[in-house]
Amino acid sequence: MNDKIIKISGRIDSENAASAEQRILEQLAGAGDVVVSLDASDLVYISSAGLRVILRLKKAYPKLKITNVNAEIYDIFDMTGFTEMMTVEKAYRVVSVEGCDVIGEGFNGKVYRIDKDNVVKTYKNADALAEIQHEREVAKLALILGVPTAISYDVVRVGDSYGSVFELLNARSFAKILAKEPDKFEWCVTEYVKMLKKIHSITVPEGRLPKIKDKTLKKISRMKDTLPDGLGDKLYGMVQAIPDTDHMVHGDFHTKNIVLAGDEVLVIDMDTLSTGHPIFDLYLMYNAYVGFYEFDHDAVLSFQGFDYDTSVRFWKACLSAYLGTKDEKKISETEDKIHCLSYAYMIDRDRRYNGVSANEDSHVGIFTAKLIDVLGRIDSLDFELSEIPKEAEKELETDAITDNLDVVTDFVNAHLDAAGCSLKTRSQIDLAVEEIFINIANYAYAPNTGKAVVRVDLKKDPDAVAITFSDRGIPYDPLKKPDPDVALAAEEREIGGLGIFLTKKVMDEVAYEYKNGQNILTMTKKL
Amino acid sequence: MLNIQKTIENETANVALEGRLDTVTAPDLEKTLKEILPGLKSLVFDFEKLDYISSAGLRVLLSAQKAMNAQGGMQVKNVNETVMEIFEVTGFSDILTII
Repeated sequence: MNDKIIKISGRIDSENAASAEQRILEQLAGAGDVVVSLDASDLVYISSAGLRVILRLKKAYPKLKITNVNAEIYDIFDMTGFTEMMTVEKAYRVVSVEGCDVIGEGFNGKVYRIDKDNVVKTYKNADALAEIQHEREVAKLALILGVPTAISYDVVRVGDSYGSVFELLNARSFAKILAKEPDKFEWCVTEYVKMLKKIHSITVPEGRLPKIKDKTLKKISRMKDTLPDGLGDKLYGMVQAIPDTDHMVHGDFHTKNIVLAGDEVLVIDMDTLSTGHPIFDLYLMYNAYVGFYEFDHDAVLSFQGFDYDTSVRFWKACLSAYLGTKDEKKISETEDKIHCLSYAYMIDRDRRYNGVSANEDSHVGIFTAKLIDVLGRIDSLDFELSEIPKEAEKELETDAITDNLDVVTDFVNAHLDAAGCSLKTRSQIDLAVEEIFINIANYAYAPNTGKAVVRVDLKKDPDAVAITFSDRGIPYDPLKKPDPDVALAAEEREIGGLGIFLTKKVMDEVAYEYKNGQNILTMTKKL
Repeated sequence: MLNIQKTIENETANVALEGRLDTVTAPDLEKTLKEILPGLKSLVFDFEKLDYISSAGLRVLLSAQKAMNAQGGMQVKNVNETVMEIFEVTGFSDILTII
């Protein structure tokens, strides 16, 4: 069934409602059972007489809808209850990205900065509304589960397609930072890996995101028969044997999709979000920094803005940081597994897009030789997930209220017990934790309440613990408070002021800083 | 969790504490003391089963000490090592009569 689109324009009021109705009915004469779509792009005003015309039309054509309604007229439809009776679609604001800075780029499109505070993400697909809707839902889910991301607040027209608008202050992609500020390389590695681990530590409720393994299996099944001696089946079997987990993977985690907005690191491209083993993210990252560019070094410069050497260096540094080891042997064992999936991906891609035959000189030929070599060496694509610190589990965010003291103490104690901390030391640390948390609960947000984040970092050689409290309450340095005079008699002693003093006494070190709008108090103690 | 056992006889009260005297439980002890302090000549705390004390607990003890200084005396007995250390660094070992 086709839409019958009828334009309604100008003003529709008691003066001209009858003639407007007449005109519409004339256009519908003989149309039969159609979806009548009133295009209101040029409608500037509608009075109750005009609304009655629409009501009568709705009776005659139950599938009536109104499209491209501007904001003011949408309000009228909304207030009069029309939006509940029929489909009323808002007009999309038209945004031009000509000459705008590209700040991010994902698989599906580009992200442009349109003004100081806002960016628009455009889509390659002309009819991108479904994609936008999907990404919006995934982004919402990610945000709720703890991934720092931006959520679009508006959908706009960009050229022939659509875009979604985000508020993103002063955002720069990691690609740009790496390209323009080489001295920030280490910082980029640290923050990038931190974000990746955060994503990988999040568990996703069953069925909310696709399984990334399925996608990879599809690729392998397309190319596996090109491998000799049953190696294709071996590869397929190994991918199948990768344990399924309900942990989040990003699926397109490269430096154009990670931005620094103000002081905050955000992930901006969410449409590939899935669940599965981290190896899938790692091999896609390897593709993004090395695999895609092995035979075309200049392409990485034009896509990411940094050169191939930087790209390879960044990949190596990130993998080492992610695995938490500088042990070459361990790293190369994991890299073999990553290469396995990457070469298979490249073979499948080249065969599909370039139709290259597998002779020895072609890229497919070279990747095939490499894949055969690595498949001879490994029997499993899994690697110990326990090697990956569960970043999110180191942190607890909670309402800073006295009643949550037990929650915080239990959280800290779980870490201390795991580290084999003695009861006496644990008791001392509990004391410091209580004093600091209660201080935040009592004063940071008074008279309101707010959140506190507790983070526990265990260190080796020598065994020690660092506990960090942060809150976004009023700036306050508790260490500035003078110590109470402990030599005074009971009558002269003041009630209070002991908490911070005790904290300093039982911990080895206590430090305070105010940074990025947060009170951050870090205390350490040898275990 | 804090368990408070009290016995009162001839203007002497025995208060035995079991568990943790912290921000969450200190108000319970404060309430108990408010009820029994009037007219009391002697207050004895038994800390044998007290595992933990924080500044919130110290504050209640200090108030009790001040009150009992005016109307009689207060003693604390069976203090364990962990709690004793807290008393020592805060000077409470000098304020309280620990037996």
